[in-house]
Amino acid sequence: MLKSWKLKEIILMSVFAAVFGVVYLLFVHIGNIWAGFIGPIAYEWIFGIWFIVSILCAYIIRKPGAALLSETMAAAVEVMLGNAIGPRLILSGIVQGLGAEAVFAATGYKRYQAWVLMLAGAGSAVFSFGYGYLLSGYAALDPSFVALMFILRVLSGALIAGLGGKYLADGLLLSGSLRGYAISHNKKGDAHV
Amino acid sequence: MRITWYHRKERLIVQRILHDMNPAVKLAAVTGSVLVLALFFNPWTPLFFFIGTLMIQACFSRISWKRYVFFMLPFVITAAGYLWTTVVFAAETEGPVIWSWAGFDVTAEQWSRALSLAFRVLAFSSVSLLFAFTTDPVKFALSLMQQLKLSPKLAYSMLVGYQFLPLLREEFTHIRQAQRLRGAGTETGLLHRVRNIRRVLLPMLSGAVRKAERTAFAMEARGFTGEPRTVFFEPVPLTRIDAAMGMLFAALLLLSSICGVALA
Repeated sequence: MLKSWKLKEIILMSVFAAVFGVVYLLFVHIGNIWAGFIGPIAYEWIFGIWFIVSILCAYIIRKPGAALLSETMAAAVEVMLGNAIGPRLILSGIVQGLGAEAVFAATGYKRYQAWVLMLAGAGSAVFSFGYGYLLSGYAALDPSFVALMFILRVLSGALIAGLGGKYLADGLLLSGSLRGYAISHNKKGDAHV
Repeated sequence: MRITWYHRKERLIVQRILHDMNPAVKLAAVTGSVLVLALFFNPWTPLFFFIGTLMIQACFSRISWKRYVFFMLPFVITAAGYLWTTVVFAAETEGPVIWSWAGFDVTAEQWSRALSLAFRVLAFSSVSLLFAFTTDPVKFALSLMQQLKLSPKLAYSMLVGYQFLPLLREEFTHIRQAQRLRGAGTETGLLHRVRNIRRVLLPMLSGAVRKAERTAFAMEARGFTGEPRTVFFEPVPLTRIDAAMGMLFAALLLLSSICGVALA
């Protein structure tokens, strides 16, 4: 998977993962406090935040594995920083990354329009919900409540991760710092120089 | 290295075991426990596992318990959240009612489900804190590469990202100060707040891009190829203590599963 990657792309991914690892942890704490009052549904509408880095990296680097690896790395950084969710975060990072990766793979890593990014965010949401269903025991909850959680999470994934990730990456592109990455080649029209 | 341990007092050796344990083995033990615990819906298994983990932490490590409680507290709140949501939004509503409160009838089945999810949160957090409080981040990344065969390209770039964190924090302060100096970032309201996040995040990320490029060039200039290797500058060894601790976790898991099922 890494054969076609340049070292600067891998490092870019890991530095982004470090930045978002911190952001992710921040929101875990915010979510936790909320969850004490309104239960596990507190996480759902902000869940998209936890998928942003995979959308961002896939959109910028445009290589197979960008979504999966960046999300996994962000989770690893969260573990390295130390927190009470612990090493299983890496597992949920892999699951979330796979969700986005599946969508990008389905397009053959060729399409990066807004709707693809939104679908990728939704893909992460679907995968992570399946994982959460098993691990947090949502089976013990009322199905209609679970359905509401699911819909909120998918919407959050599509809007916050999909559109939010695109919004950030487009801003970065305008700043000119992404010269030398696939995103700027494709914008100019000459594919993969 | 192990010889020097025996020169110290017995107590000290024992209290360093979790800190000296191989991070990859610890990772496997902790993740494995979490996955197995997810299979149980009785309240006793996670409760026993939680108590056992606290005992392991107390016996085999030296940590600041004040910090431990501080980190644990948010998850106690979360556990409370799980407790009442599971009671109110339970899937099963059949069976004998054991108590009623504010118009909600709580059955025995519901109550035990709710308790089991709440204890599960506590069990997960305690075992995760065990990992977090006793694992050195750099040793963790090196162990991922040496024991779990993570590609050196990924392992070393992960370390790069991690080492950049203090720098990024400094940069965050600088950006905020510079923007405030120019009178930006003082607007209120939800939409402005969201735009403010972007205003800070964008310069940080573009700085990160530049740093990443410079680092990659520097690594390549020093001959880093990212090829898999067998010899390491800083080996993270596997010892008999790792095997013993792995078995201890397995035993705790087995014991709490059996007792939990028997009691339920």
